[in-house]
Amino acid sequence: MQWVGVDVGGTFTDAVVYDDAKRAFRYAKAPSTPGDPTGGVLDVLDRLQLDMDQVERFVHGVTIGTNAVLEGKGATVWMLTTAGFRDVMEIARTNRPVLYNIKSLKTPPLVPRTRTYEVDERMLYDGSIKRPLDEAELRRTLARMPTGPNDALAICFLHSYANPAHERAAKRAVEASNPGWFVCTSAEVLPQFREYDRFSTTVLNAYLGPLMANYLDRLQAGLAAKRYRRDVYIMTSNGGVSTVERAKRLPIGTVLSGPAGGVAASIHLGRLLGRPNLITCDMGGTSTDVCLIEGLRVPVTNEQSIAGYSNRTPQIEINAVGAGGGSIAWLDAGGILNVGPQSAGAAPGPACYGRGGTEPTVTDANLVLGRLDPGNRLAGRIALDPELAMAAIRRLGERLLGLGDHALAEGIVRIAVARMVSAIKQISISNGFDPRDFTLLAYGGAGPMHAVAIAEELEMRSILVPLGPGNFAAFGSLISDLRRDYAQTRTLQLRETTWAEVEATFARIEAEARESLRGEGVPAERIVTRRSAGMRYLGQSWELSVEVPPAIASLPALEAAFGEVHDRRFGHKSGGNMEVVSFRVAAIGEVAKPSLPDWTVGGTLVDALQARRPVFFAGAFADAPVYQRDRLPKAARIGGPAVIEESGSTTVLPVGWHASVLQYGDLLVERGET
Amino acid sequence: MMTAKSIGAANAQPVDPITLEVVCEGLIAIVKEMRATIIRASYSSVIYEFDDFSCALFGPEGEMVAQSWDHPGHVLPLPWGVRCALDDFRGDLKPGDAILLNDPYRGGTHLNDVTLVYPLFDEAGRLIIFPAVRAHWVDVGGMVPGSYSGLSSNIYQEGVRIPPIKIFEAGRPNRAAMSLLMANMRVPEEREGDLNASFGACKVAENRIRKLIAKYGQETVMAAVAINLDRTERRLREKIAELPDGDYYYEDYLEFYNEGRLDPVLARIKLTVAGDQIIADFAGTNPQVPGVVNSSLAVAGAGVFVAIKSTLDPGGAVNHGAFRPITLKAPEASIFDVRQDAPAGAHGEVRKRGVSVALGALAQIMPERISGDLCGSSFPNAIGGYNKRRQRQYVYYEAPAGGNGGFLEADGSSAYVNVDFGNLPSIHNVEALENEMPIFVERCVLRTDGGGEGQRRGGVGMQREVRLLDAEGSYSVLSDRAVLPPWGVLGAGSGKPYHVSVRRDNEVIEFDTPGKVTGYPVRRDDVVVMRSSGGGGYGDPLEREPARVKTDLDFGYVSAERARDGYGVVFTPAGEVDEAATKALRGKLQAGRFRLTIKADDALDPYVGAKGKRRMLDLSAADAAKLGVAADDLVELRGRNPAPLRAWVRVAGNGRQGQVPLDEFGRKVLGVKNRESVVVMKLGMPPMPKAMAR
Repeated sequence: MQWVGVDVGGTFTDAVVYDDAKRAFRYAKAPSTPGDPTGGVLDVLDRLQLDMDQVERFVHGVTIGTNAVLEGKGATVWMLTTAGFRDVMEIARTNRPVLYNIKSLKTPPLVPRTRTYEVDERMLYDGSIKRPLDEAELRRTLARMPTGPNDALAICFLHSYANPAHERAAKRAVEASNPGWFVCTSAEVLPQFREYDRFSTTVLNAYLGPLMANYLDRLQAGLAAKRYRRDVYIMTSNGGVSTVERAKRLPIGTVLSGPAGGVAASIHLGRLLGRPNLITCDMGGTSTDVCLIEGLRVPVTNEQSIAGYSNRTPQIEINAVGAGGGSIAWLDAGGILNVGPQSAGAAPGPACYGRGGTEPTVTDANLVLGRLDPGNRLAGRIALDPELAMAAIRRLGERLLGLGDHALAEGIVRIAVARMVSAIKQISISNGFDPRDFTLLAYGGAGPMHAVAIAEELEMRSILVPLGPGNFAAFGSLISDLRRDYAQTRTLQLRETTWAEVEATFARIEAEARESLRGEGVPAERIVTRRSAGMRYLGQSWELSVEVPPAIASLPALEAAFGEVHDRRFGHKSGGNMEVVSFRVAAIGEVAKPSLPDWTVGGTLVDALQARRPVFFAGAFADAPVYQRDRLPKAARIGGPAVIEESGSTTVLPVGWHASVLQYGDLLVERGET
Repeated sequence: MMTAKSIGAANAQPVDPITLEVVCEGLIAIVKEMRATIIRASYSSVIYEFDDFSCALFGPEGEMVAQSWDHPGHVLPLPWGVRCALDDFRGDLKPGDAILLNDPYRGGTHLNDVTLVYPLFDEAGRLIIFPAVRAHWVDVGGMVPGSYSGLSSNIYQEGVRIPPIKIFEAGRPNRAAMSLLMANMRVPEEREGDLNASFGACKVAENRIRKLIAKYGQETVMAAVAINLDRTERRLREKIAELPDGDYYYEDYLEFYNEGRLDPVLARIKLTVAGDQIIADFAGTNPQVPGVVNSSLAVAGAGVFVAIKSTLDPGGAVNHGAFRPITLKAPEASIFDVRQDAPAGAHGEVRKRGVSVALGALAQIMPERISGDLCGSSFPNAIGGYNKRRQRQYVYYEAPAGGNGGFLEADGSSAYVNVDFGNLPSIHNVEALENEMPIFVERCVLRTDGGGEGQRRGGVGMQREVRLLDAEGSYSVLSDRAVLPPWGVLGAGSGKPYHVSVRRDNEVIEFDTPGKVTGYPVRRDDVVVMRSSGGGGYGDPLEREPARVKTDLDFGYVSAERARDGYGVVFTPAGEVDEAATKALRGKLQAGRFRLTIKADDALDPYVGAKGKRRMLDLSAADAAKLGVAADDLVELRGRNPAPLRAWVRVAGNGRQGQVPLDEFGRKVLGVKNRESVVVMKLGMPPMPKAMAR
């Protein structure tokens, strides 16, 4: 039996195959086909020469949803909403994200008011009906909407999280009048209060609906043509996977499908290696994603947005920064050296690619510093020209007096590192975590090259560099569990309710969750559920998430748990009355994980030594050995300065750091001489 | 402006560019961490939901060295408060001391904004970089819940005034002061939580600052800071130097009611560009009045700074270096430099009028970089009472955002907080609000025709209607621009002004003092209707592409009447633009504009008022009839300069037809000379049951 994970990136589509019988992995890469990613996916499967008939599980990280939103290429969306609230999407939250610019403009809504139609109906916060839905008026309204065949409709009524009856009735009416349309209701996309965020998430879902259905249909057809017979799974933003049917219905759940694979892989590796607290740093060509993992738990948030649009589906808490290998170094009007967010991308690429790029990038700087090997072909295709890199750096240096070429190159790398450090501080220090309590897990093509510099800035002591850092995200999709996050807004003041009521509410959501997973073929014994409650003191307006494990089985226990969380996060707790405002259940359908093969390479370090070259560290060149990673003997220890190269990635060890080869071939980089 | 002296950049040691960036970014990261702490720990929803607070780091002389994503209206006046705190306790500060203040006369803004200053010292006892926090406490006492009152006549009605006091001494809380404060505020336990949040943020900053200094050295850090401020200063100076030297004048108003009669107060600016610096002189601005239209020079100056920075140099850093090229002057005890014991609750309005007058002057220098006037008020609405269902006191508070001015490239955004605000929402989610308070939201829609018409239209405001579900409550609002609408530039029209009313059964209750209400008793099923102002337009509406007017009509931003009368666009019965009829109508509207010839009259004092000052315009009876105006009607004059001049009509028996006398200041505002002609437009005013003040 074989498992296949495919991750579609901006430049390459990566695939990983795990062969259960041989306990072995194989990797392949094909150029991505941005117009229709199916081409790249099928191409990479061809390169693996797989018998798809023998594949048991196919998991796919998609970026089509993210890109459609960022590029504004989604469907024409229409909206039905409660009378009096036509402008919820356009008024939005009224906040101004850009300060000190009189010309900054509000993001225009995905559904303009011309495509928003009001319907006479009104629910209240407790689910009671203030005004019944006028179905006759609704049918007349639907009849006069001048819609196109590939359009989508979002049905967004106030307080539908408390009572979805009107939204459901409206959906039935639409399905009768406009069969074949992509229709979704706000309560099915996100049954939580705060209408702007729920409506926005629902509109995004409708915006992606037709596109995603179309893509996944083509993909399924392409896979079927290769005689793949099992379910297709899609990586979802919450770090799990879902069935393709669900992804078609809730495409908004896939917008962080790409980075989710890496985070899932990180958790898996952290568990195997006994390192529960990780900060991941996935550095690619144009950007870097960082993520903080505490106690091997996926950090899930529902307070994010994409392209200025609120998206409240549960998603892994990723902090993205526009600094990667291709990021361009430049001077602003004030003569200040900056790196990124502009990127040379794949075309023209860094100056050293020799494809017409003239501006110095982080990759050029690393080449000039000897950290990248001019002979090493990135992804096996592109030769690097150090002279072009140096010329680009020199051009910039002419405008920054008094700095030598190498010092400037080192400066470019340091600024890129500073931006990543700042991103990591935001997810760690700003949230009350000390990065020194975490292991830095560096992957993506450029991650391992900058890992030590990042760790030094943050005073982190240890770094993990997984095997195959460039394919880590695809590997992650292989080992991801099915995951569904359910949340229901329901306000219960603790002094007015009973534990039985709380328990019954959780139990109802759990039952729904389990049934849904069983419906997708997950055996009951493989299903795990985890409860949490959104709670606050009466009078507060934002809730805190409190985990509710089985040990908490009474109201006093729940109160104590909330007080503890409040104290930990906010530095104080009070005797005030509390309320639960939302009930959340994560349902996980566990899949078997591939067991990683042991690293069995024999021989000595000398066998792995492929060259020596001068590498620039802290202001001067030092002669450094260059090792070939796949020939490093098991349990080897390497002291800095040294460079460890492998296909698609380079690990750089300065003086004062050393690396050890771990059981499965991963590198542990730590402070101290060998 | 706002500046203490520079921190010795001249003798600063050189710092390599990389360390420079790392240190400067590091300081901003500390501010970000402070912000995260405040949001997490505060009790006032205004702080953690509406983000109504700011954090910054200061140098030993009180200069602001780092801030982050902070509300400009808060953070820009913050150095003034810090300086007052340092001045008061100079020589008497010890490690562990923390100074609290909210005194609008001593570096505060309005009383709700409570500032904590936390000086830090090195081992030798010298001040080093230190933090300060300013946060909006939802109530600081005073005569109405929320402490916002549109009709206060002195500061004692607005809440507890805190001059700089040590609230912590050597790390120990000053219990006496704390008890006194808490005894005079509503829901004191929440206020104590707010104070703890600010203190916690300062402690976090202390830890980080000390680490930064330990890592890079005190001298390097201070040198990096000095270089950073200097380059920020240089950047802005270079931009200013590109502007033509000269004096530029503008005037505008705030709306004061003297004994219930409208008595507008004058805001005047002479903005001087001299080489690479700007001097903003408010000479001639109205003396302070016993009404909520006064604030400090820190606040009015913040408005000027925002106007300059966000037109001339968007994107540049904001720290003390950016303040240095700007000097501020105002008459003492004026509405822009308030002194004891005038009310000072109008900081939002004064700041916005600071923006308006600066924009009006800047428009004469660089019309391509400015916009029409902003919506012009922060519009805080509050309903307070006892919530039966949830068995607790509540203060409902919303400040529905208005429109923004149109500008060269685009229409202004609608219902979008202005550039002098931070990144904060102005309204609640309906679903959260209805769950938490005895409030039912009837509608929330954009205001058709709310934006000033123009080649680029002003953004529209919103109309938000809330119904009270409990038996009784108390409604207050403090706004401006409820009479004088935000102006357009370059021939564009005004935004529709703010308006509030109460709908009771089938009756609409209007207020005698538009936009200013204190503690009006509302009862069950009353609907408070809040309408926020639109932004001013940009450019002649008759030049607006008819296709855009059609889109506006389709979107409902503009009514059919306004499309025809304001934009001169005619549609065919099928709804398409009728090009020929449009051209004809536009020609007719253009020709029909009422023009008068200026007669220079430098002996004229055009201003009247009881405690206020408003410009009067003497029209002949015949001209008044032609224009359709009567005495005390509001008119607007449009000259060569982009921004208009407002005045109230005085029908002069001996006035010469076709001619209008104008003083020198008025001519400078309009950029017109003797015998040149100007367009005169009638502006609507809400009905006033009482005559204007004399």
